[in-house]
Amino acid sequence: MATDAIAERLEELWETEPTLYGRLATVDHKIIGKRYLYTAMLFLIAGGIEALIMRLQLVGPNKTLLGPEAYNQFFTMHGTTMIYFYAFPILVGFGNYLVPLMIGARDMALPRLNAFGYWTFLFSGLFLYASLILRSAPHAGWYAYVPYTLQTYSPGLGMDFFALALIFLTVSTTAGGINFLVTIFQLRAPGMTISRMPLFMYSSLTTYFSVVFALPAFTAALVFLELDRKWGFHFYDIAHGGHPLLWQELFWFFAHPWVYIVFLPATGMISMLLPAFARHPIVGYPYIAVSTILTGLVGFGVWLHHMFAVGEPQMSMSFFSAASMTISIFTAVQVFAWIATLWKGKPVLTTSLLFALGFIATIVIGGLNGIVTAVIPVDWQITQTYWIVSHIHYVLIGANLFPVMAGFYFWGPKMIGRMLDERLGKLSFWLMFIGFNVGFFPMQLLGVFGMPRRIYTYPAGEGWTTLNLISTIGAFILGFGLLLSIINFFVSLRHGQVAGDNPWNADGLEWSIPSPPPSYAWVHLPTVVSRHPLWDDHDELYDPNDERVFDQDRLTLSTTWKDAEPVSLARMPEDTITPLAISLTLSVIFIGILLTNLWLALAGVVLSLAAAAAWIWPKHGPKAMLEPQSERVTA
Amino acid sequence: MSSTYTEMPLPLRRQPFPVNDKRGSLSIIFFIATEASLFAVLFASYWYMAKGAAVWPPDDPPKIHYALGMLAVLVSSSIVLHWGEGQIKKRKVGAGMAALGVTVILGIGFLILTVLEDSEHLSVLAVNHDAYSSLFYMITTLHAAHVTLGVCMLSYVFLLPSVEPRSVTPHRPYHNAALYWHFVDTVWIFIVLFLYVSPNVGRR
Ligand code: HEM
Repeated sequence: MATDAIAERLEELWETEPTLYGRLATVDHKIIGKRYLYTAMLFLIAGGIEALIMRLQLVGPNKTLLGPEAYNQFFTMHGTTMIYFYAFPILVGFGNYLVPLMIGARDMALPRLNAFGYWTFLFSGLFLYASLILRSAPHAGWYAYVPYTLQTYSPGLGMDFFALALIFLTVSTTAGGINFLVTIFQLRAPGMTISRMPLFMYSSLTTYFSVVFALPAFTAALVFLELDRKWGFHFYDIAHGGHPLLWQELFWFFAHPWVYIVFLPATGMISMLLPAFARHPIVGYPYIAVSTILTGLVGFGVWLHHMFAVGEPQMSMSFFSAASMTISIFTAVQVFAWIATLWKGKPVLTTSLLFALGFIATIVIGGLNGIVTAVIPVDWQITQTYWIVSHIHYVLIGANLFPVMAGFYFWGPKMIGRMLDERLGKLSFWLMFIGFNVGFFPMQLLGVFGMPRRIYTYPAGEGWTTLNLISTIGAFILGFGLLLSIINFFVSLRHGQVAGDNPWNADGLEWSIPSPPPSYAWVHLPTVVSRHPLWDDHDELYDPNDERVFDQDRLTLSTTWKDAEPVSLARMPEDTITPLAISLTLSVIFIGILLTNLWLALAGVVLSLAAAAAWIWPKHGPKAMLEPQSERVTA
Repeated sequence: MSSTYTEMPLPLRRQPFPVNDKRGSLSIIFFIATEASLFAVLFASYWYMAKGAAVWPPDDPPKIHYALGMLAVLVSSSIVLHWGEGQIKKRKVGAGMAALGVTVILGIGFLILTVLEDSEHLSVLAVNHDAYSSLFYMITTLHAAHVTLGVCMLSYVFLLPSVEPRSVTPHRPYHNAALYWHFVDTVWIFIVLFLYVSPNVGRR
């Protein structure tokens, strides 16, 4: 059979109907991945606007743009948005789009769960932002320490919005985490053994394992908080035998790995795109793989390092500060591998590579800062000053935003089919990089000069004025740089140069198909014999007898987890509206709890169960063996 | 990049492939992992509070006889279910389904016992009496919710065979629901040890 005819059949099977219903019901990972990316970008913009308003308030002494309570709400919304609704979801978006394409699968392992993860992410974010519209936003910072967040000190709905939105989000994150793990373990192309996986898979696996094990601590802490606030439970109430410190233990058990969770997939992206621009295979593949896994493992042990300022017994303190240093070593391994790759190759300085280099430069600085915080006595002096604000942003912008931008310029052409403009891109990079340093380096000095964090204004005579002015200017340059890239995206969407299959001459499987990829991705599912599929002399798509077409239904190959030997076919579900329905009914539950209306919540539970039943009820007929495809051979 | 064809080293000729993959089982295993982590966190919170308290539990410890009875119910249900899965693998579908039905009934029995125990216990210890009661009821109620979910899963499998042909072995949905059920039982063992036995034995 001719390839065109097969492609047509596949398209019929896999395409998303171009109707409204089709769009709401789609389970295509490419569409969902892009939605994740757009939504997370919107959250970045929202959080960025909040940040710029804060910087305007702090531009000089005694400004009155924001009052104290409003300022508290702003830094809380900013931190919460950035950490939970931007930094991780944007990586989920890249993962969603890229993981199946990098491993040669036609979709994620659990496509409906994937759609569900997106909708719950969206609704939990809207839930949080409803609080801003109702003018009762949370105000206790992104880590919401008790007892300040209990009903006595924080009346009103603000902290309820915070707790419920984040419980809602953990549902989405857990579902996504499980989905990625199953996908990577089961759907890799034949021959993509565990030691040939793209490095992005190592960072994804480590990340999602951490999600699976660390996130429940946060969920539990939030549920405790909500029960204390709404129904007079006493988990954190010292007067009734509760423990305020329990919040901190649980929170940091989750949040310390979380810092690596928003960082590791980003390093994985760098390990993928750097070799393409260095035009040299990545140096030290096994070392990067192992140190990625170890970063995740040790990340769990490090949570107490955040507790130094609170006071834990000496023994554990020295152990944990050693662990923090150890992580810095694993990160250093990766940095050396990247530098060596560039050294041995012939780098082409594209926008994407510039962002990658900006990232490497920043984590070297930020990492050194991290080592400083791991040294115990220093911690006591500076945790409550602007030094820590600077440190947070060096880590988060350096290790998350820059790699994300690098990924955006690298994979953007794959997603939209057109190249992004390089001149505008480079300008955007330099503005962002300079603005970032001008914005956040003065904060280090401010910290040393004793400016406390989280103050809404300051008096004139402290010597903080000039540095604050510089910092605000830097922040606006950074914001403007980002805006240029967004403009670049929209302009290139229409007018960019057509990208073709593999504009960068990169080595990953995702570059073996057209840009943007068709809904079924591959006509012939690829096979792999090395770590750099497109750079070796094996033809991934060679399939003269149409043995790897699988066009009887929505099918993709399922392989063994270690050696990636094909064992069976995975049948993918049809498009369905149930994931959206169940996300909506879950929202009803959370709204019911928010309003302390248990009947509404109960109605939500019943509706959710009904939606779940509709979801899991099998729609396929008997799952018999598929007919052999031998009749194809002759055509 | 290159189009030279190297000899395919991969055993891809094993056609036709069965449409039977392990996505479901693997997902259940990771789901169980995250749930186990949740219960571990709750137990850790329990011990964390115990460590800081002069007397633990600060109130009268729960009576142990219900918990042991419920343990007997759950453990026997797990044994029956495991046997049933063996029957299914031997293609004795009738016996397997009967075992499944017994398990569902035992699970519902467990839930009835829970309601009885709670109504008795609540009359001596209110839910929001103190930190201990908060945590105690949180853990036991959450577990009961998991038992309910488990019962739902098992009932789902019970209703499935009309669409799932019996020729497919191993019976995946059966296996998956059983995995979850054994997990829920295991959690109850820990609850009995930590929340019922230990406060009665080692009361400080
Ligand atoms: C245009 C870029 C940004 C600017 C100008 C900015 C500015 C600020 C400012 C002024 C604060 C409040 C400091 C205080 O009063 O204590 C803050 C806090 C924070 N920012 Fe940013 N930020 C930016 C981007 C980001 C990004 C990209 C992230 C994360 C990915 C992030 C994460 C945080 C966090 C976690 C806090 C702490 C909130 C808290 O105290 O609870 N920021 N930022």
